[in-house]
Amino acid sequence: MQAEDLYDSIRTGLIAMLPRLKRFADLLAGERRTGRALLSRALKSMLAGEHRYQRGTALDIWAFAEIYQQWLKELRDHAGQAKTDDASFERLFPNNSGETFDTFTAMFLSSLPPQQRLTLLLVYGERFNPVEAGQVLDVTPETVGARLVRVTASLADQLRERGPLPAGAASAG
Amino acid sequence: MTELSDDLLVAYVDGQLEQKQTSALEKVLAQDDVIARRVGTLKDAHRRLETAFEAILAGEEADAVAQPVPRAPGLFIARETLLKSGLAAAGIVIAAGLLLAGYGWPLAAPEFAARPAAMETVGSLPADWRKEVARAQSLLSRTSLEIGADSQSNPDFIAFQLGEAIGAKLTPPDFAAQGFRFTRAQILTFDGETLVQLLYLGPSGAPLALYAKKGGDDAAQQVMRYDAITGLAWSQGGVDYFLAGESDEASLRRLAEAVRSE
Repeated sequence: MQAEDLYDSIRTGLIAMLPRLKRFADLLAGERRTGRALLSRALKSMLAGEHRYQRGTALDIWAFAEIYQQWLKELRDHAGQAKTDDASFERLFPNNSGETFDTFTAMFLSSLPPQQRLTLLLVYGERFNPVEAGQVLDVTPETVGARLVRVTASLADQLRERGPLPAGAASAG
Repeated sequence: MTELSDDLLVAYVDGQLEQKQTSALEKVLAQDDVIARRVGTLKDAHRRLETAFEAILAGEEADAVAQPVPRAPGLFIARETLLKSGLAAAGIVIAAGLLLAGYGWPLAAPEFAARPAAMETVGSLPADWRKEVARAQSLLSRTSLEIGADSQSNPDFIAFQLGEAIGAKLTPPDFAAQGFRFTRAQILTFDGETLVQLLYLGPSGAPLALYAKKGGDDAAQQVMRYDAITGLAWSQGGVDYFLAGESDEASLRRLAEAVRSE
């Protein structure tokens, strides 16, 4: 493939993946405004440096990894991450009338470090296997597996402690 | 009560266990209420996480429909590159030819490539095989099928038909000295012009293909690469040649030299 065709394919692929990229960036940043700004900078970097894309790599794995690396770089540059508030995180979930909103799970996700949140997203949301999720987050598959067990078990513990909700309260999670 | 780790139970809930392990664990679940309740809670946690991520994506997709990405101007301006130059056109021809030859579609971007069955839900963009096949089929014409299997063993007949087809002298080169035997020839068409495909097999590996079409002035060799396929293009004696295979560049140059000396 000639470089120009490859470049077009990357751009087309990124456009098609935008909703998934937004979800990734929003969950990484913990809120929408910061997530969109991060995604915008990461996309510019990806399009300016499409030569970094290695043939044979799945585009989604590459794009997620680029966003994550951009976030890490900015984290280092700014010496820390601003804490996001629960209300901003809750707004990541659509609040359409008639749909249930699982506040309990949303708050649980909000309390997690971004790396753990992304591990869950990549495996349970994107259906990546631990090897692929590890490629995005630059960790071993064993680390991905350990995070899944730890976080899922933690949520299960909290659900057990909370106990069953009274009838009619399910929508509040 | 049986002691089972969360590692094992989460792997079960995530569907990561082998069938035998799953069956064994399900026997335990049928007999141990404590483990069964733990699995039930882990399943609830798993389901809630999946649902939460799906909900966020649904919101993003709804936003995308409401606010589509502008085509132009903006960050994503699609460039019209397909067939913009003769070389690009030749590339498409060769790529489709390679597909017909059984190589697969070399111009497909990796993100459009089919993934292993176990990974098909990972989320790369799906390939539209019908589009790729249609592009490949556009190279076939009625003439493509007129060299039958019974004529493939007659080099003189093939040479005559191929020469007639492209309007220039063309004898299938003999690559026996390089370890490749001629297997078959095919006439293709691209943009109204006839294109000849000659296929060879070595002792192992993918086929080697030599493509030829009526050309212009002599031109030096040019190396092109399409993923695993290396190609060598040149013009000689009024014929444009393109030699493509998984061989390295040096091997292709030796084969091309055999063509030049025919």
